[in-house]
Amino acid sequence: MQAQSMQRTLLSLVLRLLLLCMVATGKCSGKYHELLLQLQRQADLMQNPSTLLDPYIHLQGLHSPILKGSCMERLGDFPSEDVLWRLSRQDFLWTLNTTLGLFLRMLSALQQDLPKAAQQQAEMNIRGLGNNIHCMAQLLRGSSDPEAAEPTRPGPGPTPPPPSLPMLPLDTFKRKLRICEFLQGYHRFMRRAGQVLRGWGERQGRNRRHSPLRGLQRAAQRTWPFPGLRRLAPQGQLPR
Amino acid sequence: MVFEIQISRFKASDVIWTGNYSTTVTQNQVLHWSWESELPLECAIHFVRMRTMVDDARIPVPRFWSNWSSWKKADAQNSLGDHPLYVFPKDKLVEEGSDVTICYISRNHQDNISCYLEDVLTFGKQLDQSVWAFELKNISFLRKTGTNFYCQGQGVPEGVVLFVSKVLEEPKNFSCETRDLKTLTCTWDPGDDTGLIQLPSYTLFESFSRKKTLCKHRNRCDWQVTQDSQEMYNFTLVAENYFRKRSVSILFNLIHGVHPVAPYNLFPKNVSATNATMTWKVHSIGNNSALLCQLQLLGEGKVIQQHNISIRVNGEYLLSELEPDTEYMARVRCAYADHFWKWSELISQNFTTAEAAPSEAPDVWRDVMFVSGHPTVTLFWKPLSKVHTHGKILFYNVVVENLDEASSLEVLSVPAPANSTKVTLNQSSYQIHVTAHNSVGPSPASTVAISGHPGNENVEEGRINGTEDGFPMSWKPQSRNATGYVVEWCDGPQNLPCVLQWKNLGPTTTGTVISSGAFRPGVRYNFRIYEISTKRMAHLLEKKTGYLEELAPSYNPQVVPNNLTSHSFTLSWKDYPTESQTGFIQGYYVYLKSKAGEKCHRGFEKTVLPDNSVCCKYTIDNPDQKTFVMKDLQPESVYEFFVTPYTSAGEGPMDDFRKVTTPDEYSHILIHIILPMIFCVLVIMIACYLKSQWLKDKCYPDIPDPYKSSVLSLIKSKENPHITIMNVNDCVPDAIEVVNKPEGSKIQFTGTRKSPTETKGTKPAYLDLLPTEKNYSGPGPCICFENFTYNQAASDLGYCGHFPVTSQAPHCPLGPLTSPENLLKTLEQNYMNSLGEIPAGEANLNYVSQLASPVSGDKESPPTNPPEPALCSEYKMQMAIPLGLASPPPSENSSLSSTTLLDPGEHYH
Repeated sequence: MQAQSMQRTLLSLVLRLLLLCMVATGKCSGKYHELLLQLQRQADLMQNPSTLLDPYIHLQGLHSPILKGSCMERLGDFPSEDVLWRLSRQDFLWTLNTTLGLFLRMLSALQQDLPKAAQQQAEMNIRGLGNNIHCMAQLLRGSSDPEAAEPTRPGPGPTPPPPSLPMLPLDTFKRKLRICEFLQGYHRFMRRAGQVLRGWGERQGRNRRHSPLRGLQRAAQRTWPFPGLRRLAPQGQLPR
Repeated sequence: MVFEIQISRFKASDVIWTGNYSTTVTQNQVLHWSWESELPLECAIHFVRMRTMVDDARIPVPRFWSNWSSWKKADAQNSLGDHPLYVFPKDKLVEEGSDVTICYISRNHQDNISCYLEDVLTFGKQLDQSVWAFELKNISFLRKTGTNFYCQGQGVPEGVVLFVSKVLEEPKNFSCETRDLKTLTCTWDPGDDTGLIQLPSYTLFESFSRKKTLCKHRNRCDWQVTQDSQEMYNFTLVAENYFRKRSVSILFNLIHGVHPVAPYNLFPKNVSATNATMTWKVHSIGNNSALLCQLQLLGEGKVIQQHNISIRVNGEYLLSELEPDTEYMARVRCAYADHFWKWSELISQNFTTAEAAPSEAPDVWRDVMFVSGHPTVTLFWKPLSKVHTHGKILFYNVVVENLDEASSLEVLSVPAPANSTKVTLNQSSYQIHVTAHNSVGPSPASTVAISGHPGNENVEEGRINGTEDGFPMSWKPQSRNATGYVVEWCDGPQNLPCVLQWKNLGPTTTGTVISSGAFRPGVRYNFRIYEISTKRMAHLLEKKTGYLEELAPSYNPQVVPNNLTSHSFTLSWKDYPTESQTGFIQGYYVYLKSKAGEKCHRGFEKTVLPDNSVCCKYTIDNPDQKTFVMKDLQPESVYEFFVTPYTSAGEGPMDDFRKVTTPDEYSHILIHIILPMIFCVLVIMIACYLKSQWLKDKCYPDIPDPYKSSVLSLIKSKENPHITIMNVNDCVPDAIEVVNKPEGSKIQFTGTRKSPTETKGTKPAYLDLLPTEKNYSGPGPCICFENFTYNQAASDLGYCGHFPVTSQAPHCPLGPLTSPENLLKTLEQNYMNSLGEIPAGEANLNYVSQLASPVSGDKESPPTNPPEPALCSEYKMQMAIPLGLASPPPSENSSLSSTTLLDPGEHYH
């Protein structure tokens, strides 16, 4: 456990230094894969409950199996997986940035409820990721790659509205559980974001062997991996 | 009025509490009374009713109760929603150690509901069909975020958080003070945190002025002093939280609690070598009240001066009696002069005094060595202590004054930090003055006097014993005018370069203890005691040597056994240095072990070694005796010996015994006989060698050279030009006469090389080279000599070139002999077949013999058939050719007779 914690701390430190380096220089890396890898690693780090949720549970005394079992992500707190997959890269980045911005505000409001160190670390991580999101968005804007405007997986619908901050109950017990759910949702959301980012990398690898145009057409014809979800994108029109 | 109040739960008839409430009432007054239920009101319907009675002394008894009011219902459940499960009380604040009742209301009676306090399953009491209550006793503080109590039915768990507060402690060490007579500051120790986010409040109340203030900090509170000259204050500090109120009071006199603020701007001014003026400032108190300031001077961390100064605004003080070139720290603090209560904080400032000339002469000593009759003086001086340097010593001046020559003065400047210098003098008397200089000036001079002649060094050396304190020693003064004494020694072992040390002693001192941290046990130290005359001349008084602590010898001598006889041998260890041992060598132990294990010899005593073996031990009590004769030994016996020195601390380490075997008793007799015999043989051999020429002349005279014959001179004298000596080259042999000597015929040996038995089976051949034609016009027949020096093996060859020759035998052409190839072949074959069999009866021709003049008178000429005298005869020198080597190709002029085979290494003439 200590070794894992140490690894996480080191990774966090490295990521922070990377962030600081970029912020200090004011320049973004122009290397797509490097940036993507960094985003993936940051998402992987932030999806880990030990960075925020576990310290919160420990502080609030919610570590009993019953309470932990009831600490599930609440639908609507964060964008769902299928929504993320169906977003274009630019929209995904926007959604990710917006959601994390809201979460950052929520963190500030939860100062009394969260362990201070974990909260500060989470804030740093989010700001670091936000910086890389900014760089990636800049990179995509400057690229002529049509995939930038293409969803990672084709699907219907425009960009979803950003989630709203949850209303916290006055009842302390309920509030504790609600915050727990919210933090759980945050970690799961970051896991989903990481998967989508990995999807970007996989797709890039596949499309290197094909022309971008063909890749685009194939992506449009690809089988939808979630049969339970209806494809709403109009035929013949590429999603953003 | 007295009110009797009844409270029922669930049903009006179930009265759970009855109590009275008395108060004075006025007309139309609304009264408030509260009652706290241990069971959350949300979990049960409560009913309340009351009746009243006048309780006034002015109204005579009997007094009567009024009728009961109707039951009033308090139903909190009405406000609940439609959730299946509720737990109460919500967010209750409790004090640690108290009891709490928690209840839940379940709307679904079928549910199996379990409740937990943190992780622990808790069992409650059913109060109603849908209400259960849990009494939590003596609840304890777990965390600031509260203790969780929750129940779970079918759905999401419902629960409450109990915020447990630790018991509020009474403030401790409550005190007040003022720093400027304008503001009071009261401080206290609040004790442990109650553990709640909501902190307890602290209020300061002053009873004389009836003012109070809410404190902003949990351990400190400020109070503004009013201008109405209030001197006494009665403060009460009230600490209060949800559960408790704690208070503590003090009576405070403002003047008695003045704690001035620390002074500032402390600086040194006019710093000289011994004085410095310190200045500082203070914050004014009230109306420029007087302050008592304490100025401390610290040197090397210790307070060396302390002065109290009364000031109002600015402080100034002259510090004197300071040491030159010394770093000091000055620090100052102040207190209220009217009533001392507490010093202010200290402020400090470092400063260094100026340099001054060194105050003391350096301690100088000398070491005088006479080189070629001239004294070479090495001057040593000890660095001045910091107390006396008064600054950094830059150099030392050495002034050499020749007392015999008034104007002779030599000045040397030795840069610091050197502590010695060497001066070569002549045989005059000198005074040497040494001064230490810093940037300000020189120190007083230190003087030593040197005589141009060596003093008396023949002073007997005494021994001293070291103690824990050092080496105690005493001496007898020689003169009454001694100005002092100096004890001199080297601080290290003798084998290391001497670090000269000395100690100056007063004229009345006749003893001292020399101590040094460098002294080590087992090291010999030599001390020399000098008496210093009025002219600063040092005379050697005594010599002392000793050990701080004697140790047993660290190693044993290398013992050499010699003079070994059958009954004795001598042990010698003359190289063992007794001077450089770890103690005074008092003698030696000689250990002897014999194989026979017989009794110890006289003078030896039996002893048991550490390995439990028994041997004999002899004690030599003279440390200068470094040989020992081991006598009365048995011949042809093995003895083991071992020699170790001993000091007062013990003997040397036990080493291995060395073995010595005594020789046979008669061996020396044999030596006495054999040696003379060998000597005699040698003498004879030398004599023979010296007389060899004589022997040779007698036994083997040289063959005379015909050219040098006296006959020639005789012939020449007759002036016959036709008569000359024949050259063998001019001879053309035309016949070979082979003389076959019958077996057993007499053989004349030319030397001792072949014994008669060896030559017995050989067939010596005589080869005569004679003209083959009667008309031979050559100079004449040649005479052949037998030569026994040829290779015998070659004589056994049967070959064309070496063929048996008879007078009747067909002539073999000379070709095979004269041809070098044939000769070589012959030689090779000869060698190859040297071990081969030779056909019997074959006469061998193997040598062309030397030619000699018959007038030579050679006695070794073959006895048979001597050739006729010829006019031409020649003897040619033989050439030795080692066996196996091909002879060089002969020249055309070469003759067969010039080639001879010899054994390697042998040469015969």
